[in-house]
Amino acid sequence: MSLWLTQILAVMRLEIKKTFFARRGLWIYLLALAPVAIFALGAFMSRNFQVFETTLPAGVHLLTDEQLDSVQSGMTRAQIVALLGEPPRTRTRRLHGFDQDNKPIIVQQEDMRYYGENRSLILDLRDGVVGSIMSRGRSSFDQMSYAFATVFQFFFIRLAIFFGCLGIFMNLFRGEMVDKSLHYYLLSPIRREVLLVGKFLAGVVASAVIFTTSTGLQLIAYLSAFDAATVSRYFNQDHGTSQVAAYLGVTVLACIGYGSVFLGGGLLFRNPIFPAAAVLIWEAANPLLPALLKKFSVIYYLKSLCPVPVAAPPGMPALFKLLVSSGDPISAYLAVLGLLALAAVVLWACTFKIRKLEINYTTE
Amino acid sequence: MSSDQIIFDNVSKFYGDVLGVNRVNLSIPPGITSLVGPNGSGKTTLMNLLTGLIRPSRGKVTVLGLTVDQPEKLFKLVGYCSQFDAFPKGLTGYEFVNSYLRLSGRDAAECDELAWKAIDRVGLRDAAHRKAAGYSKGMRQRMRLAQSIAHNPRVLILDEPLNGLDPLVRSETIALFRSFAKDGCHVLLSSHVLHEVDIISDQVILMNGGYVVAEGNIKGVRSEISEQPMQIVIRCDHPNTLASRFFEEDHIVEVRMHHDKKGLLIKTSDPDRFFTLMNHVALNGHKLESVAPVDDDVNSVYEYLIGGEDETIS
Repeated sequence: MSLWLTQILAVMRLEIKKTFFARRGLWIYLLALAPVAIFALGAFMSRNFQVFETTLPAGVHLLTDEQLDSVQSGMTRAQIVALLGEPPRTRTRRLHGFDQDNKPIIVQQEDMRYYGENRSLILDLRDGVVGSIMSRGRSSFDQMSYAFATVFQFFFIRLAIFFGCLGIFMNLFRGEMVDKSLHYYLLSPIRREVLLVGKFLAGVVASAVIFTTSTGLQLIAYLSAFDAATVSRYFNQDHGTSQVAAYLGVTVLACIGYGSVFLGGGLLFRNPIFPAAAVLIWEAANPLLPALLKKFSVIYYLKSLCPVPVAAPPGMPALFKLLVSSGDPISAYLAVLGLLALAAVVLWACTFKIRKLEINYTTE
Repeated sequence: MSSDQIIFDNVSKFYGDVLGVNRVNLSIPPGITSLVGPNGSGKTTLMNLLTGLIRPSRGKVTVLGLTVDQPEKLFKLVGYCSQFDAFPKGLTGYEFVNSYLRLSGRDAAECDELAWKAIDRVGLRDAAHRKAAGYSKGMRQRMRLAQSIAHNPRVLILDEPLNGLDPLVRSETIALFRSFAKDGCHVLLSSHVLHEVDIISDQVILMNGGYVVAEGNIKGVRSEISEQPMQIVIRCDHPNTLASRFFEEDHIVEVRMHHDKKGLLIKTSDPDRFFTLMNHVALNGHKLESVAPVDDDVNSVYEYLIGGEDETIS
């Protein structure tokens, strides 16, 4: 085994142990497990829909999923009644508001509730026109799959992995500065670039284990809402295996991408808040950036790799629509290569900093 | 470039506007060399420059011909026990020594053997499997010393290595330094305890305000401080006769009778002429029990050159 590889493994051995068992990293586990809890709860409620729906009116006619799905926002009350009949339960209110000229007006608001075999539908009507549609109860597989994709893209990648990697990778150097123990590495017969690579790989392994475990548990939790036949059909006929592999792969790539960025941040900045805020804004603003600048963003590549595209729901403000939109997606092959190249460039830039790194604990 | 010296070539270090060290030129040969000076005089800065923990603003540092830009070679030869009293979290004493040995690329068995050997040398085998964070100050100091010597360095750099050690362990640790020096290694240490520096050092480097004010063998440094008369104690059978003889010499600045009337304290501005005179005195039949300088130790030299500016010097 080459000397560098032996040294990288020695660094990883030290770092992985510290990362997994650090008391200050406890919040990362909580962050990773939060979506698991959400999907587990959702699955439990979905499977036990009838138990939660205790206030079902007597003698109500249960509608089919097709009937419930036929309702669209923008439909009038008369159209709804023509489709589904009078609602078994309804509630009307008068709301005070303002018109376009900022003059006070009164809006007639009505909640109409219909009950189906698997779920109930709550329609929010304003002046007799359907605004939002809320569904409660046993979700269809497609709905759950879509919900999973939404949570994965907008909570798990952008927040959980983002901040988890911030905690793990910023600590690799900055944490040791604070603990006043970094000098032991710098006094060892190891090239500083090798030390950098060793620490980065240790961070990738630790974060990938934590977050791919979370992704796996989330998938198990969301699939547990369905019977064995549905799950079997998903894996055998509906590209389930490739979707699961894609989610796990995106998780690992997110750890690599954000890890490299925050490792650099830990070398350059004393306070992690500033680089974290800057990267968060940069990532959120990705859809607004010119084509060339988009490529210097982790989320640009990750969005292209997510197996279930998430579309903006009708009525969403334009700014949020931009965040949701995939922009100009690239092929999976290019996305993987692009993200790895981005991480490599960031690490290469870090080598210049670490070569000249000085220990000055008193200013930390 | 190959050399057996530690060389500071016109080295300066500034922390912003604050001076760390300035225009340091040193060639340090093997043996025990002590850095002496008050707090803030630049001792730790010099050691950190030597090991690349900080970079010089100007000048160049080489250790046995190697620069700090070659850590993979340099730290096979150098061990540094710094003043930073911290350990990586969660490690036992043994894991601490062993883990950093593994970074050199040695195999596990060799690292294990070297780690235990170093731990034995500092006498901490029984405590080696306890968490380092729970050690007493003295134990932490010894375990950090074990880590710095575990790879058998040729250059051992020690920042206040005797701090926190009890008298018995101090003497054992000093013996350890001596054994390194005896094997031809460089031992560069800083200390505030001047009498210990005096006992163990082959040479000293006196520092003040970021400057090297004197360096070399302590007796040689003392002899070069011409503005301070040398103090010599003579024990003899007829001190009165000798005192009257000394008063005839223009280089004798002061003569004082010892309270037991069996000795004299002489202050001379020309030690060479004084010792020539003493040869004549002995040849003329005066019975001399002893003739000994009393201010050629580090403490006196330090007082003369730096003047007790720092209360912490003892």
